[in-house]
Amino acid sequence: MHIIDCYAYSNKIRAVDPAQKAGLAVIVLLLCLVFNHPAVSLLAVAWMWGLAVWQAGLPVLIFGRVLVAELFFLCLATVAVALSISLTAPANPEAWLLPVGPLWISSTPADIYKAANLVLRALGAASAMNFLALTTPLVDLVDLLRRLRFSPILIDLMTVMYRFIFVLLDSLNRMYMAQDSRLGYSSYWRGMSSAGLLGSRLFVDAFQRSRRLQTALDARGYEGGHLQVLPTIYYRSNKLLGMSAAAILSLTAVWLVL
Amino acid sequence: MTPLLEFADVYYRYPGQERYALDGLTVAFPGGENIALIGRNGAGKSTLFLHCNGLYRPDTGEVRFGGRPLAYDRKSLKVLRQHIGVVFQNADEQLFSASVAQDISFGPFNLGLTEQEVRRRVQMAAELCEVVEMLERPTHALSGGEKARVALAGVLAMDPDILISDELMANLDPWGRRRIFDIFKRLHRRGKTIVLATHDLNVVRRWATYVVVMAGGRAAFAGSPDDLLANQAVLDETGLAEVWFDEF
Repeated sequence: MHIIDCYAYSNKIRAVDPAQKAGLAVIVLLLCLVFNHPAVSLLAVAWMWGLAVWQAGLPVLIFGRVLVAELFFLCLATVAVALSISLTAPANPEAWLLPVGPLWISSTPADIYKAANLVLRALGAASAMNFLALTTPLVDLVDLLRRLRFSPILIDLMTVMYRFIFVLLDSLNRMYMAQDSRLGYSSYWRGMSSAGLLGSRLFVDAFQRSRRLQTALDARGYEGGHLQVLPTIYYRSNKLLGMSAAAILSLTAVWLVL
Repeated sequence: MTPLLEFADVYYRYPGQERYALDGLTVAFPGGENIALIGRNGAGKSTLFLHCNGLYRPDTGEVRFGGRPLAYDRKSLKVLRQHIGVVFQNADEQLFSASVAQDISFGPFNLGLTEQEVRRRVQMAAELCEVVEMLERPTHALSGGEKARVALAGVLAMDPDILISDELMANLDPWGRRRIFDIFKRLHRRGKTIVLATHDLNVVRRWATYVVVMAGGRAAFAGSPDDLLANQAVLDETGLAEVWFDEF
């Protein structure tokens, strides 16, 4: 089972109304984007991390690990902001220069600050989403969308797709092992051809599965249309509500003061 | 007494195939029995099952439930599928929701029950199938045996009179099978009819109270397990003698 999925199902605030968790995450995300201040972003990361550990009971390092992975991608994406490449040396006296052949790679403190701010802003927003992803399983989010009167067809698609990600991953895994144990990946080209076979086989497999699923659903009285299922009963956590308010107020306060 | 479910001279051929999957099948399933359905791969067991609750429709001939021929309009099918539950071999292909409770609630909702009644049904089926502690767990985190019981609960939540099980236990270990038989025992006590596709002599001897043997799209035998085991001609003809009694 996927590790994020695993925590989403087993954390201490799993049964809290997803509206409450999603509300907090979305507001914090918006505050990070709108206020656009490094201190606000850092504080947001701290709040989300803190709540994930303290309220949801997640291990300290899990949140960090997800964040580090995101940080890596964010840094890659902002290299272009921090550095600029030109054919002539920039005139700015503050610029750091690095000649590479005929090109000049340059950067200024302002560029670096801009890039860092961008990374932090995105990181703050990402930490809000991480909090939601690590504390709320997808079935609960789909349930929330249903309550928000999202299109039933989209909701059914999400329900079935999410379930079948795991079913197909499982059969992919088994097919791969069956090929590998018959030396299907013993050389590069053999591996390429095996992977091709695997892909086409998986497609056929998915198609046949979908037909058998349809039969099984029909057997349970499905008449087409919306897949109706029981809504889950959640509880409201006043403690989390209080902390959410504190988080939002402190983020706003920091922005006002600075 | 009229049999609960009967097939009268049913022919069925899959589109584009020469051979009849059901080739003049005539057989009756009496109510309240533990029925073992035996037959080689391709003998027509699955095709028979898919006819039971109107998923397939005979080319010619008739399927009757409670003495009345099946009707294939929407409303009749809905009633029929409430009475006849079918659970298939691969549980993974039947569970469509990542939430166990939601998956079990699907059938009862299709019956048009109220949310309160659906909750009661889900709880009832979960207790019957011993999956109560799994209700809040994700489907993909369950073991094969647990998935089979959840799939069964999804069908039993509709409270059918007949439970038809198409090799549900083929992939289970003996302990997993044992727990399914525990569920069957409870159903039998409530007067339900169970039809189980099996190849297991032990199941025929110790569980079944009625046996149907399929061969080539027809019923080669229908009667009590004792009669089947005493009927050397049928055992030889259907090849059962070879797999059940010959020494290795």
